[in-house]
Amino acid sequence: MKRNIFFVFVVALLLVLPQFAGARDFFKVGVITSLSGPLATGGNVTKYGYDMWANTVNSHGGIEIQGKKYKVQLFYSDAQSEPSQAASGAERLATQEKVDFVLGPYSSGATLGAAPVLEKYKIPMITGSAESPLIWKQKFYYTFGTIPPVNFTGAGAIKTLAQLKPAPKKAVILGSNDAFSKSTAETFKEASEKAGIKVLKFSIVPQGQDLTPFMSAVKVLRPDFIGFGGHDDELINLVKALHQIDYTPKALLMHYGVTEPAFIEALGKDAEYVFGGSVWTGSLHTKSDILWKDAKSYFEDARKAFGIDVDYTHAGSTAAGIAFQAALQKINAAPPLKMEAREALIKALEDLDITTFYGRVNFATEGQFYHANVGLDPLTIQIQNGKVTLVGPENYAEAKPWYPMKPWKER
Amino acid sequence: MLLLLPQALVDGILIGGVFITIAIGFSLAFGVMHIIDLAVGEWIMLGAFLGFYLTQWTNIEPLLFLPVVFAAFGIIGYFLQPVIFRVISGIKGDPVLMGLVFTFGLALIFKGTGLTIFGFYSHSIPSVFSAGSISIEIGNFYLTIPIMRFVGLAYAIIITIMLQYLLKKSNFGLAVRALAQNREASGLMGINPKKTSSYVYAIYVGISAMTGVLIGSIFSLSAQMGARYTALSFFVVVLAGMGYLAGVPWAAFLLGLIQSFFLIYFNPGYTLIAVFSILYVVLLISPKGLFGRGW
Amino acid sequence: MGTYIKGSTIKLFALIFVALLLLPLIFRNPFSLRIATEALMWIGLAISWDVIGGYTGRVNFGHGAFFGIGAYITAILMMNWGWAFLPTLPLAGFGAGLVAFIIGFPTLRLMGAYFAIAMWSLALAFQQLALLMNITGGPDGMRLPTFLNPEFFFYLMLVMVMGTFVLLWYLMECASFGFKVRSIREDESGAMALGLNPTRIKIQAFVLSAVPAGLIGGIYAYWVSYIDPPSVFGDIITDQAIVMTILGGMGTLIGPAIGAVILFAFKTVFWAYLSDYQVLYLIILGVVIALTVFFLPNGVWGTINSYLDHRKSKKNDSLIS
Repeated sequence: MKRNIFFVFVVALLLVLPQFAGARDFFKVGVITSLSGPLATGGNVTKYGYDMWANTVNSHGGIEIQGKKYKVQLFYSDAQSEPSQAASGAERLATQEKVDFVLGPYSSGATLGAAPVLEKYKIPMITGSAESPLIWKQKFYYTFGTIPPVNFTGAGAIKTLAQLKPAPKKAVILGSNDAFSKSTAETFKEASEKAGIKVLKFSIVPQGQDLTPFMSAVKVLRPDFIGFGGHDDELINLVKALHQIDYTPKALLMHYGVTEPAFIEALGKDAEYVFGGSVWTGSLHTKSDILWKDAKSYFEDARKAFGIDVDYTHAGSTAAGIAFQAALQKINAAPPLKMEAREALIKALEDLDITTFYGRVNFATEGQFYHANVGLDPLTIQIQNGKVTLVGPENYAEAKPWYPMKPWKER
Repeated sequence: MLLLLPQALVDGILIGGVFITIAIGFSLAFGVMHIIDLAVGEWIMLGAFLGFYLTQWTNIEPLLFLPVVFAAFGIIGYFLQPVIFRVISGIKGDPVLMGLVFTFGLALIFKGTGLTIFGFYSHSIPSVFSAGSISIEIGNFYLTIPIMRFVGLAYAIIITIMLQYLLKKSNFGLAVRALAQNREASGLMGINPKKTSSYVYAIYVGISAMTGVLIGSIFSLSAQMGARYTALSFFVVVLAGMGYLAGVPWAAFLLGLIQSFFLIYFNPGYTLIAVFSILYVVLLISPKGLFGRGW
Repeated sequence: MGTYIKGSTIKLFALIFVALLLLPLIFRNPFSLRIATEALMWIGLAISWDVIGGYTGRVNFGHGAFFGIGAYITAILMMNWGWAFLPTLPLAGFGAGLVAFIIGFPTLRLMGAYFAIAMWSLALAFQQLALLMNITGGPDGMRLPTFLNPEFFFYLMLVMVMGTFVLLWYLMECASFGFKVRSIREDESGAMALGLNPTRIKIQAFVLSAVPAGLIGGIYAYWVSYIDPPSVFGDIITDQAIVMTILGGMGTLIGPAIGAVILFAFKTVFWAYLSDYQVLYLIILGVVIALTVFFLPNGVWGTINSYLDHRKSKKNDSLIS
């Protein structure tokens, strides 16, 4: 029995490894993201984006504030794809590491777990990749996001499709049953109806469901395009299912994951012609004097660092760091950030209006997009010749959209 | 809508075919050695990646590699079995549960290793069969049979028949069945339980890994895919009746048909709730699996 | 097993309880308290699983369903009906217990893996239900008002879990109920021949296992302040409870508690301080679990216990001779 008590104490002691904090000449930056669990793919992309910002800032000597350069150091916390673990991680970063600000999680669930805790400690957070509208409805004062929510961007792709010739008239729209994919599908549906496209069938399907039978039924309806909201492997499975039943709609639109390098790599020729929504690509014309001069130089740096063609999730995460950097420079705040400095930082973020390699960063301060970045225009992309190509809206397009889709067999 | 009935049936059976391949090896391991292997999905994942890399390197049809994958993982299984055998034949604790937790540990190791080596992204194995389908169109009547899925069904049926033959007609099968019924007595009758179990486990691991190649060709593969297939194989095997090999195809077809009918005829969102509720109710009505033939 | 001298056991409980009560005074850090609260939560989930899994011998793969039901009852009552938090808790426990009572009768007839899978599929059906209904917010989940008082949640969880522990200790180790339950586990028809009503006892044990899970779910919802179907109905709740119980030692109460603390401490230390090696964590956790099962088939507590028994009988032997 005595062993028992001893044991309990040893474990208890292990839990409270002492931590030290004090004056320092660098910024402590918390990173909460899902490095494991079902959302690890997006979580790791997010992490790469944050790493890229930190490494580049440090290679420039740090963030320059009143003539002195302060390096940044990242402190990771794995949200494990669970809201409770995100909350726990936020509490640790706030109380043990005493971070100055936080770069946030990938999913809406983890963000909603971490945000209330950060509100309590009054620590600003910018999430570089959460796209679900759910977060911004909650109006967290200390939480910002660099990627516009999908209900802000999703309609863009539909508008591009509606302008195709001959214009599509009938659509089938479906979404996977998770928060992000469902609102993607709902946005697609709303925008289609507004554009005068008839939605023949609208369904929310269970996550990871084998959709072959569904698509066999859709084949009979002969819609002009299929719009799908889902995540990486669901998109790959859907394209494979369509190929297997040998049905080629005139257009296929998906949202997140089309721009991921894995999509093109896994599907090869079958990835061609697929439309997607985005807010950034490596070929976007942007001009900036913070860290990268344009999208292209960032894209190439990232390829050198990670060996992949990065997409907007990656870029948005890096832009989250840049937003903090710009706001800090504006208020001349040196580390460690006291409470007043953090309050000033929030104000500075709300007033922020900068152009980065990622495009304009300007957080909304009211309405349903509260604290989400509304400085960007929704873009429509299409996979053409194995590349993510901008095809809409017209002032951004690098190529004409390919339409209708070439049947699978003739490729 | 009635015109879609043949399509719903065909799709359901084809999904069922995929389910058979996932569950058939597991049913063998379950039935003979009473191993509840929580790593079954991870074997599928590992096999899928072996197939994926072999195809990338050689650029030939992935299904040609099935025997290679079977052999490679069969050997791994053969040498792993004694460890599991020790865990599940202990006198202390509940051996079946010990096996369950032990294989849960194995599953974590495989998954972690998979993520380390293969990364987080999804991939796909390109097969020549994924291209075509047999299509029938008469007026408003459509019927599409994807060839890739059909190959999957054929593979499932061949494996099932081969296993049945092995169990029912061969000397090895006799030993296996004796072992399944009574471990001690079978030992007295000159059967080496350790060796026989090792062979069975090798066959199970080999089949599961081979199935991975097929799954990767039909769907996508990623290091995180295992858990989904572990759950599926459990459902099929238990619905069939544990260790009752001949029940597996019927259980698989039932689950496949529920899915295709819900996706085509009802609200597709209710597909999974229907699958789980029906599975639950069937087990209540028939507590030893669909045919009451499980142990 | 486990029933040594009652006086000393009670003293030990009192000691641990007082030590835990004082914990917030020693660790002023909210993060440590959060970790302690979560450790208590897992102890509660593991011991409640063990009532049906270890004592009654019905391995339940769907224990997480009761946790999820409790969490959603609290969330729905608070958000849709404007209730205060504390009054929702009894209903969270009652709801979970009621579901256990209703499904217990048909489901507990099943044995072994059939019971496990039936419960698993039922739990997944509940998850799908939460994803599809409007009142639960579907996949968007529910956000509750935030009340970030670490001490409150620590003490609430402590009282709940210690209360459960003591109640279960009394019922399983001291009262006749424990013997009845165990006799059913060993030999159901034999128990019937002795005049016991196995169905009734099994349902009682099932409800006893479900109610604490529901209560803990209710606390969890208000504590984390955001719930969605994957986070409260996910397989991970059940999986962890089972692994903790078996690591610690099934069919006891101290075993699962030890298992919960070990696994949770391991996970937390690794994840909190070595986040860079997140994938390695999976591998090491897997190795730890596999090795424990391989070398300590009775779990940690079971092994300690049999060692103590062994020493005791040796002592007795030497006294006789």
